[in-house]
Amino acid sequence: MGMTVAVGTEKGAYLARSDEARSEWELEGPLFKGWKVTAFEEAGDGTYLLATGSNWFGAALHRSADLQEWTQIADGPAWPAGGERKLTQIWTLTRAGDHLYAGVDEAGLFHSTDHGQSWQPVDGLNEHHTRSAWEPGLGGLTAHRVIVDRENPDRIWVAISAVGVFRSDDGGATWNPKNQGMPAAVDAQEFDNIGHCVHGLVQDPADPDRLYRQEHLGVFRTDDGGDNWERIEDGLPAGFGFPIVLDRESGRLFVVPLESDENRLPVDGNFRVYRSDNGGDSWSISGTGFPAPATFTAVLRGAMDTDQRGGIYLGTTAGKIMTTADAGETWSTPPWTLPRILSVRVLGA
Amino acid sequence: MATVQVRLPGLLAQILGGSKQIEVQADTLQGALDRLLVDYPALKVHLYDESGQLRPHVNLFYNDTNSRWLSSLEVPVHDGDTVTVMQAVSGG
Repeated sequence: MGMTVAVGTEKGAYLARSDEARSEWELEGPLFKGWKVTAFEEAGDGTYLLATGSNWFGAALHRSADLQEWTQIADGPAWPAGGERKLTQIWTLTRAGDHLYAGVDEAGLFHSTDHGQSWQPVDGLNEHHTRSAWEPGLGGLTAHRVIVDRENPDRIWVAISAVGVFRSDDGGATWNPKNQGMPAAVDAQEFDNIGHCVHGLVQDPADPDRLYRQEHLGVFRTDDGGDNWERIEDGLPAGFGFPIVLDRESGRLFVVPLESDENRLPVDGNFRVYRSDNGGDSWSISGTGFPAPATFTAVLRGAMDTDQRGGIYLGTTAGKIMTTADAGETWSTPPWTLPRILSVRVLGA
Repeated sequence: MATVQVRLPGLLAQILGGSKQIEVQADTLQGALDRLLVDYPALKVHLYDESGQLRPHVNLFYNDTNSRWLSSLEVPVHDGDTVTVMQAVSGG
């Protein structure tokens, strides 16, 4: 059984394919040459979904049975015609059983129960009473992460920057901000628990109440499903960063720290992934194989993923891909240089 | 009805099955655009935003005339007329 890692960039999508050992890689692409490719997902019926965007021609969703021939979905996620909101990007696609969710910019959540053929807005979140206080971050007003509890699919978390994390306990009907203990990045004035710039969010596969978040202002952990958060940065050279990934097999947590929100670069040009073997209590450099110093590149929020069996894959803003098949002991960099990488997704994990 | 040629930029050619040019039958410019979206509904989201207006960085030329300069799209079209969708030169 082979591996496929889908890579979305500013100018098209690429497919990195490997055998079971995940040591030798071949590259296919580009698909959607010239388009931003922002998200991938398996639709649950044997087909694949891919989201494109364009500064000229807007965002759209596409389907393929073989990752080669694609058809645009006519009824993709969309804000109502004639309204004020504009859908500029489809930032994330998440499947849980027969349910598909799309997180978009301008921030909102859409839901599909027909493998992505049609989408309905999740009004409980999209029309939340705090919405008037939602303000965009540098990357936009973006719903960029959706997590559906594997044990209880009625419990759903959504991360929106620069707003915060919301949780639903009733299948998406109602939502509550879950940012207690987090420093505020934006003054939301009339609402508590709003104005938190979450960049990444991941659930612990061994404990559904434990989640980790990479925030604009640090790295945090909750042990009660998001009701309370605590800072976990012991050993990190900086708290700022974008993605956070947890590999199920090893239990290891991975982040890519960047020096401050002002600079957004590896500290002193030392590009390193950091990992934690103890649920974020402490962090250390994740093995070997990183580029030489003077590597001033970053990993964006959607550009790191895991196959859940020790394989971690990341793409940088400089267009390089790095892979590890041993849960971050040794990293390899295939020889390709792609456009700026926006999204990395393991297919079939 | 007149036969109008519609030309699209390369980024949208995939919607036309790889072609950048097609013909539509219409009496007016508005009719030609309506026909285009009936034949290729996936184009709509790329040409128009949620307000129903042409996207800000998309230009639509009727022969040599920018459609934004026309007071109405209900102008008669003739055989051999062209409608060109252009990706505005924007950015650095």
